[in-house]
Amino acid sequence: MKPDAPAGVMPRPEPFPAAVPRQSLGHRATGLLFSDYFVLYLSIAYFLALVPFLPTLANPANLANLLSNMWPLLVVAVGQTFVLTIAGIDLSQGAVAGLSSVFAALLLATAAPVAVLGNAPVWGLFLSENGGLLAGIPGATWLAVAAILALGALIGLANGVAVAVLRMPAFMVTLVTMIAIAAFAIWLTQSNNIRDLPANFVALGKGTLVSLYFGAAEESQVARRALHAFVTWPMIVAITVALAAHVALNRTVFGRYVFAIGMNRNAAEISGVPVRRVIVTVFVISAVCAAIASVLYTARLETGRPTLGAGNFLLDVIGATVIGGTSLFGGKAKIVWTFFGVLFFVLLSNTLNLMNLSAFHIDMVKGGVILTAATLDVMRTRLMRDRAV
Amino acid sequence: MTRLQRLAAGTVLAGLGVGLASGASAANICFAFQDLETEFWVAGHQAITSTLTEAGHTVIERNANEDANRQLEQVRDCIAQGVDGIILIPQDGESAVTIVAEAQDADVPIAVFNRPPSDLSKGIIVVADNATIAAQAVDFVAAKALEGAAEGEVLNAILVMGDLGDPNAVGRKDGFYAAMAKHEGRFNIIEVASQWDAATALANLEAAVTANPDIDLLFTSSDFLFPTIRSVFEPRGMWKPTGEDGHVWMAGLDGDATACQLIKDGLVDATGVQDLYFEAETSLKAILAAIESGEAQPNEVIEDPGFALTTANLGEREMDMWGCVLLADGFLDK
Amino acid sequence: MTALLSFKALSKDWFGVPAVSDLTLEVARGSTLGLIGENGAGKSTLMNMVGGVVTPSDGEMSWKGEAYAPRSAADAAVRGIAFIHQELNLFTNLSIAENVFIDSFPKRFGMIDRTRIREDTAALLARLELDHSPETLVAELAPGERQIVEIAKALHREADLIIFDEPTTSLTPRETARLFDVIARLKAEGRTVIYISHILSDVKMLCDEVAVLRDGRLVEAGPAEVFDVGRMIRSMIGRELAGMFPARTAAPQADVVFEAEGLGQPGVLEAVSLNVRAGEVLGLFGLMGSGRSELARVIFGLDPVERGSLRLGGRELAGGPGARIAAGLAFVTENRRDEGLMLDAPVAENMSLVAVRTFGRGPLAVLDRGAHELATERMRGEIGVRAGDIARQPVKALSGGNQQKVVIGKWLMSGPRLFILDEPTRGVDVGAKYEIYALADRLAASGAGILFISSELEELIGMCDRVMVMSRGEVTAEFAAPFDRVKILAAAFREAVA
Repeated sequence: MKPDAPAGVMPRPEPFPAAVPRQSLGHRATGLLFSDYFVLYLSIAYFLALVPFLPTLANPANLANLLSNMWPLLVVAVGQTFVLTIAGIDLSQGAVAGLSSVFAALLLATAAPVAVLGNAPVWGLFLSENGGLLAGIPGATWLAVAAILALGALIGLANGVAVAVLRMPAFMVTLVTMIAIAAFAIWLTQSNNIRDLPANFVALGKGTLVSLYFGAAEESQVARRALHAFVTWPMIVAITVALAAHVALNRTVFGRYVFAIGMNRNAAEISGVPVRRVIVTVFVISAVCAAIASVLYTARLETGRPTLGAGNFLLDVIGATVIGGTSLFGGKAKIVWTFFGVLFFVLLSNTLNLMNLSAFHIDMVKGGVILTAATLDVMRTRLMRDRAV
Repeated sequence: MTRLQRLAAGTVLAGLGVGLASGASAANICFAFQDLETEFWVAGHQAITSTLTEAGHTVIERNANEDANRQLEQVRDCIAQGVDGIILIPQDGESAVTIVAEAQDADVPIAVFNRPPSDLSKGIIVVADNATIAAQAVDFVAAKALEGAAEGEVLNAILVMGDLGDPNAVGRKDGFYAAMAKHEGRFNIIEVASQWDAATALANLEAAVTANPDIDLLFTSSDFLFPTIRSVFEPRGMWKPTGEDGHVWMAGLDGDATACQLIKDGLVDATGVQDLYFEAETSLKAILAAIESGEAQPNEVIEDPGFALTTANLGEREMDMWGCVLLADGFLDK
Repeated sequence: MTALLSFKALSKDWFGVPAVSDLTLEVARGSTLGLIGENGAGKSTLMNMVGGVVTPSDGEMSWKGEAYAPRSAADAAVRGIAFIHQELNLFTNLSIAENVFIDSFPKRFGMIDRTRIREDTAALLARLELDHSPETLVAELAPGERQIVEIAKALHREADLIIFDEPTTSLTPRETARLFDVIARLKAEGRTVIYISHILSDVKMLCDEVAVLRDGRLVEAGPAEVFDVGRMIRSMIGRELAGMFPARTAAPQADVVFEAEGLGQPGVLEAVSLNVRAGEVLGLFGLMGSGRSELARVIFGLDPVERGSLRLGGRELAGGPGARIAAGLAFVTENRRDEGLMLDAPVAENMSLVAVRTFGRGPLAVLDRGAHELATERMRGEIGVRAGDIARQPVKALSGGNQQKVVIGKWLMSGPRLFILDEPTRGVDVGAKYEIYALADRLAASGAGILFISSELEELIGMCDRVMVMSRGEVTAEFAAPFDRVKILAAAFREAVA
C-alpha cells in the first residue's frame, strides 16, 4: 500500500518543499546508516574493533595480503553486479573462470609433461612436450589474454541470447552453462593442472610495481619479507575494470538502460530501450569479467586449473555483491557498493584466519557475521522505506 | 589418491607422540591442509596441536576446502602473521609449487607431505615412493604364490592398473613389474585397465577372468577396487580366504579400512601403504630443525619408503596403517 | 446512532510535511460515508492509519468506543475492519473458497475441512449473488467478480466496517451496478461502509454522509443531501472549476499525420482503419475487450499484426517500439505502474527514459548530466509536476496525477508526432485530470496527432474532434462533434438506435 505523498493542490504553484535535513546527532547517525558508504563504515568499524585483539591485522604484510585477495574477487563481482542489476543472476562465472584458466595454460604453457597430460584430449592439438599453442611466440601472453577474453565473451553471448531472445530464466540458463562448461574444462585436461606458465603472464597475477618498506632507513639490506607489495598488476587491472564499470553503469546511456530493465522491463521495452541487446551485453560483461579474474587467479597460482571457480567461489562472489547492497531483485546497484562488499568479505575471511579459530569454527563464525551484516542491511532498508515512503 | 587417504592424514597424526617434543624452542607453525570434513580429523588436529603445544609450539591451522587459490591466500596470511614454518598438505602438485615458492620468497621454511609438488627441488618434500611401496606388497604375494606352485609352473597374475595419466598409477605399475622381474618366467601377466573407475575396472576384469579362468595372483593399484574385484571373483569361487581352495593371492595399495578388514579376514594378503605417520613426523621434525638452524629455504627430498601390511606382520604394524586405525574406530560400521 | 469509528485531532507527517493534520471525524455505526478529495489530499494515509499500515504521528482513533491503535494490518482485520482495494489481494491460483478462508481454515482431525469451506462459501456467494462454484479458481473470474470475492472474505470475517478504495476503476458498467447492489445490501444488514471514489455521482448516489479532505485537512462533512457534485468539486479543489475540460486552443490541420489501413489479427482486430490529422484529437471509445488497447499495442509494435499497414507522416512503420519511437510514436499505456514507470527510480530518470540516448556524448554515450538536469527541470515546469528534488525523489512518492504527468512528460522529450493516450486519466483526481486534458490540448495545438483511448465517454466528448467506436475488434462507428452520447454508447454495445 502506498501512503499518499504530500503534494500541493492546484492553486498552489510552488513545488512542495523537500525535506530539510536537520543536523541533529541522531540525524547524522541515520545519515551514516543510509549512506552509500555504509558497508565501508561497517568494514572499518569491524577492523577497528578487532585490531586490539588481532594486532597482526594492521600489520603491513597482512594489509598487502588483504589487498591482493581483494582484486580478483572484485573483478568477478563487478561482472555479477551488472547481471544482478537487470534482476538476473550469472551462475556460470566460476565455470567460465575454470575454462579460461585451462585455455590460458593450453595456449601459454612453456612445457608439459606427457606422463600427466598425454591422455588429455588436448594433447597434440593444443599441447605438446614443447608446451602450448602459442609457446615461444613473441607477444603470446597478450594474444592469449585476448583469446581468453573472447572466449568469455562468447560464453556470455550464449547466456545472454538464451535469456534475452529465448526468454529463458537466467538462473536456469547459467546453471546449465555452469555444469556444461565446468565439465568441459575438466574433460579437456582430464582434471589435470598445467604448470610452466611464462614469466610475463605470471607477473599479471603477482607482479609488483610499488613495494613499501617500513623500517629503519639506514638498514643496508632489506629482508624480502619486510617488503610489502602495494601497487600490483592485479590492483591496476581490478581498479581499471571497476572504474570502467562504474562509468558504464552510472554515467552512460547504457547504464540507464540496465537500470531501467532491472526496475521495470515492460516499461523499458515500451519506452524504446533496446532490451534484448542490453541483456546480451550484460551477460557478456559478466563472463568477460570472470575471464579477466581467471587470468589474475591463474597467473597468481601459476597453474591452469579446470576447477578454478569451483566450490565456494560463486557464493563469495554473489555474497560479496549482495552484502554490498546490490539487490537480487534488480534495479538497485552501485559499483562502489560491490567494492565495499568485496572488501568486507575479504576482510572477514582474513580476520577469521587470523583469529586462529579451529578449522571447524571458522565457517560457523563466518556464517554468523554474514547473517549479522545481512540483518543490519534488512533493517536499514526497512528504515529507509519507512522514512522515504 | 582416494579421499580416505587424504582424510587419514589427521588420524595418523593423532599417533604423533613424544618424538616431536624435542627440537626447536617455541615456534609458530602454520599447518595448511586442503580438506577436512569428517570426524577423523578431530582426533588428528587435536593430537597435532596438543603435541606441539606441550612442546611449547603454536599451531595455526588453515583449511582450504579443496580450493587451491584459497590455500595460497591462507599461506600468505600465515606468512603475514610471521609464522616460523609451514607444513602443507597441498590440494594438488601444481599449486604446491607456487605455494612453496611463495613461502620461500618470504624466507619461511616450508615442508610438504602426502602429495608431492610437481617440482621436487624446492622445499622439504616428503614423498612416498609408489614403486617401492607397490613392490613391497607384490613381493609378499608373489613369494606366497610361488610357495604353493609346482617347480617351473607358470602362474597367471593380474595387474589392475590405475589411470596412467596419474604419476601415482605409473609408479605403482612400475613397482609391480619390478617385483615380478625377480621371478623371471614364472608369471604370465594380464593387464587390466581401470582408469581409476570402478565400472571400467568391473568390465575389464570380467573380460580378463573369462579369458583366463585360472588366476593365481592379483595386484590392484588401489584398495578402493577390492569391492569390485570381489563382485567378479565371488560368483566364480575365487573369493576365498587363505588356505581354502580357490584362494587368489591378492595385494593392493593405499591401506584403507576395507583392505585392513580383508587382510584380517585372510581374503587379501597384503597392501602397500604410504606411511603417513612417518611423513607427518618427518615433516615436523624437518621444519623444526630448519627453524632451529635458521635456515629459511631448506630444500630436501625425503623418501617415504612406506611398508606393506601383510597377513604376516598384521599384529605388529596394524596400528601404523591408517585404514586399520579407522577400522578400530568402527569406521566401517558407521 | 453511535460512532463506530472516530478520529480525534489525528495527524501524520511525512518528511515533516503533513499528510493528515488535526483531523476530527466520526463515522456513525450503520452509515455509509463517502470520503472524497484529490489525490494527495490524505485519504489513503487516513485509511492506512485505520488499517494499521501507518502509525499516526499525533492524535487518536477509537473503535467501538475504545481507544484504537492497530499495530498491523492483521490487527485491523481481527477488530472487524475490512479493505476492498483498487489492487485486489487475492490469490489467483486458489479457488474462491480457499481465498475466503485463507486466514482461518477450519480443521477437522487436523485436516482442512473442505466440505465446510465449500458450504459456507456457497452460502456467502448466494448472499452476494455471485453465480460461481466455490471451487472456481479466482484466475477465471472477471475483475468485478473478484471484488465480490473480496467482499465475501470481509463478510466471512464478520467485518463491521468495510472500506472501499476506488472500487469501480476497473469494472464494466454492469459490474459496477452489481457492486452497488451489494453495497446496498451491506447497508441493509447494518454494516458500516466507507466509500472512497473520484466518481462523485457514485458517491452522491451511494452515501448518506460525505466528508471532504483537502491538504490533509477535513474541509467539510455532512449529510449527502446537502452535497451536489458541484459543491463536492468546489470543496475538494478549493475553488470554482470553470469547466471539466479546457477549451481547445487550435483546430486540426489538414495534413494526415498517421494512417492505419486494414489492420487485422485473428481474434483481436478486424480490418481496422483510421487516420489522425495533425493537431487532431481522435477519440477511441469501446468497452473492455473491444480491442482498443490491443489496437494501441499493435500500432506501437508491441504485438504482432497479420494484415494491414501503418504509416506515420507518410512513412511505413515497422520494427519494434524502438524503431517506432524513433519514427515519432509515443504511447502512454493504460497501466502506468506496470508499463509506464520505474517506481523506485527518481522522477527525473523516469522523465528522461525515452529520450535518454539524446544525452549520450561521444562513442561511449556518456551521459551529459548537466544537459540532463536542465532538460528534466524544464520538462518538470512544462508539465507542472509537483515534486521536491526530481533528481532524487522516487516517482512512487508522487500522487497518481503527478505520476501520470511524468509518464506523459517522458514522451514529450522525444518530440513525437502521434501520441497514443490509453486511459490517461484513470485513477487521477479531478484537478490533475484537467491538467492532463490541458496537456493533450497543448500537444495537439503544437501539431501532434492524438489518439485518445478512454472508457469515460465524458472526457472523449469533452476533448475530441472525432470519436471512433470499437467493438469486438472492429470499428463500428465514427462520429464528429457535436457528439450524441446515446448514439456512441449504442455503437459500443452494437445496438441499433432509431
